[in-house]
Amino acid sequence: MSDLTAPGFPGEAVRLRARTGAAAAFPPAAEYGQVLFGAQCGTPGDQLDAMRLVPPVFMPQRLAKLIDLGREPLYQDVELGTVIGGFSSPLPVYVSALGSTRAAGGDLGLALSRQAGALGIPMVIGENVVPVNGYGRLDEDAGRSLLGRLRAYTEHLGDGPDGGVAVQQSTEDADAEVWNLVYSDPAARPLLDSGRLAFELKVGQGAKPGLGGMTVVDAEAAARMAGQYGLDPVFGEGRVLRSSSPGTFTAEILRQQIRLMRNNFPKARVWVKLIPGRDVAEAVRVAVEAGADAVTVDGAEGGTGWAPSAFTGQVGLPLAECLRRIGEKPPCLLVSGRIWEGGRAVKSLALGATAVGLGRAALLAVAEDQQDGLIRFVECLSMEMRLIVSALGKYAPGEISPDDVWSP
Amino acid sequence: MIEDGPTQPGDPRAHLSSPATRSTLRIQNQLLAAAREYLTSAGFTEMLPPVIGPVTDPGGRGSKQVDIDFYGHRYKLMTSAILYKQASLLAFDKIFCIAPNVRLEPLETANTSRHLAEFHQLDVEVAGASREQIIQLVEDLVVHMVQRTIAALPEEFAALGRDVDAFADLVQGMFARTTHAEAVADLHAVGHDQSADAEIDWAGEALLSSKSSRPFFVTDYPKGSRGFYDRESRTEAGVLRNFDLIAPEGFGELCSGSERTNDYAEIITRMRETGENPQKYRWYLELVKEGIPASAGFGIGVERLTRYVAGLDAVWQANAFPKLPGVVSP
Repeated sequence: MSDLTAPGFPGEAVRLRARTGAAAAFPPAAEYGQVLFGAQCGTPGDQLDAMRLVPPVFMPQRLAKLIDLGREPLYQDVELGTVIGGFSSPLPVYVSALGSTRAAGGDLGLALSRQAGALGIPMVIGENVVPVNGYGRLDEDAGRSLLGRLRAYTEHLGDGPDGGVAVQQSTEDADAEVWNLVYSDPAARPLLDSGRLAFELKVGQGAKPGLGGMTVVDAEAAARMAGQYGLDPVFGEGRVLRSSSPGTFTAEILRQQIRLMRNNFPKARVWVKLIPGRDVAEAVRVAVEAGADAVTVDGAEGGTGWAPSAFTGQVGLPLAECLRRIGEKPPCLLVSGRIWEGGRAVKSLALGATAVGLGRAALLAVAEDQQDGLIRFVECLSMEMRLIVSALGKYAPGEISPDDVWSP
Repeated sequence: MIEDGPTQPGDPRAHLSSPATRSTLRIQNQLLAAAREYLTSAGFTEMLPPVIGPVTDPGGRGSKQVDIDFYGHRYKLMTSAILYKQASLLAFDKIFCIAPNVRLEPLETANTSRHLAEFHQLDVEVAGASREQIIQLVEDLVVHMVQRTIAALPEEFAALGRDVDAFADLVQGMFARTTHAEAVADLHAVGHDQSADAEIDWAGEALLSSKSSRPFFVTDYPKGSRGFYDRESRTEAGVLRNFDLIAPEGFGELCSGSERTNDYAEIITRMRETGENPQKYRWYLELVKEGIPASAGFGIGVERLTRYVAGLDAVWQANAFPKLPGVVSP
């Protein structure tokens, strides 16, 4: 068990799920019959948390399912299987990008990859992993590397068609030619040949929209990265702030970068990750028209990495507002941002998302138990999603609609 | 094409001493001698191309560059000489070189019969030339190279079983020009699913190639299918002033070329559109900022042209020390 923490995030609840699985979707069974449970007032949250899921009284879709089954449907009859950016997944959930940030490096990154592979849920490998931790060929440390994570994921995939890996590339990664490297490497071939490799163009991230990736490195690492990254010794004592450039985008730059990805890597899927920017709706439209298989919007609530304090509370649109602005459901919209339980996940789906990404929650679950933490956590999430979707009188994630959500 | 030829190189002794390899390399030698003769008499200066540099052609279609350690700095082996070709125009208005290129192509290309990880290009660049002028130069040059070679080496063609009547149309010139959009429409008409905003895929190229009796040009590729150095049309947004030369009989692409972008702001913008980080192109951008000539140019794949002319089964047969993508070889 690792002592990783995430202040402001329901870390203890996530860890409980990682330990106990689906049972954690309910109050403690031992208290059944002894405690009166009900709504708790004053739970802090954002717009999405404040919304409520609202089942109707009359449920024609439940009748359709009843006719289909020849018996009354239950929550177990909800089919969560979803196509996420060209990959099939047993539920509308993927693991968000965890980049070169130290929390996701080494053993945790590998354990996460193994468990995501075993679950068959898609996983994104974040930017800067190659320039910072290496790729894993020749004599580089394979554990921290991109290749190490790719291998761990692939080796634990089941025999079915589920799963897939999306590899991000940032402006600095472009110098290391991460996509070209993966596309031509024998280790990625099984994923490529089975249609389970995607490249994700990173336009930015939710936790610090408008800025590039940031990490804190020691002086020795900083010396190695000089010329490649922006370095700033703001912390003293040999610790240096390492900044990636955010990269410059216009509609035409985004459009052409996506087309070039499709041109250069015809066998890979193309994903695009956007910041929660005020023009997010237009950016989604441009990406979809240029042929992106999936567009990810990272709400301002997200982030495993390290962001300046002024950004975490005050910069970028909240996820609910992103979804409202995007409006009509795009072909494949993926969202992330403080997703850790079924309610928030199903609300996101109702507001237009195809799937939700687990960032901090996945990392904490793995930190709790490197063997099965994420597997149990997803079991619980899956249970909750089935309960909620069936309560709405629906039996597949694609059937959920904005009617299913009420805003105060 | 020769039927039942070997699909993988054998050991180097067997390959180098085989009569077929010797005939092929004599044909290649004659093609290059003819090119030098033609270009030198037309006032071109042959330059010796650099092999390494801090940056190289970002290339296309998924190939990876080779990094080398240059006294602690990351340098690249040349994937093409394009940046140096443009810079060379500061010395001479008309240049050419025969340049080695290294591209770690995706493993899936090992079986296309037309990809090598190490190959050579006959690179030409002309200051002030338009796309139409450079296309005409390609046509005249290829006609000259092929004419000279079939006249000089009839016994080598006979030994390889290559009927030189295959070039009856070629030697008359008059290569057809078709736009990318027209080529896409033609492919759609025969049921081939070709993206309108990407390069013609290999299967599509083979389809077009097999329908023709002489080489032909495909022009006006869409932005998003090529590097930042192919200039965008000033009248048609999103269309590049470039071309490919495609061989007949299913041999596919022989040559790519274009009018070049030489405006500083345009190059930086195009670099971003192609996902590049301008910072690493510093030496090139500094030259561009102070001004480099407008130009047009092209690169002919030497092994691909040899394969077509000699009628070979696979492009590796046109290289003395072939390196197929992913195959460990001398």
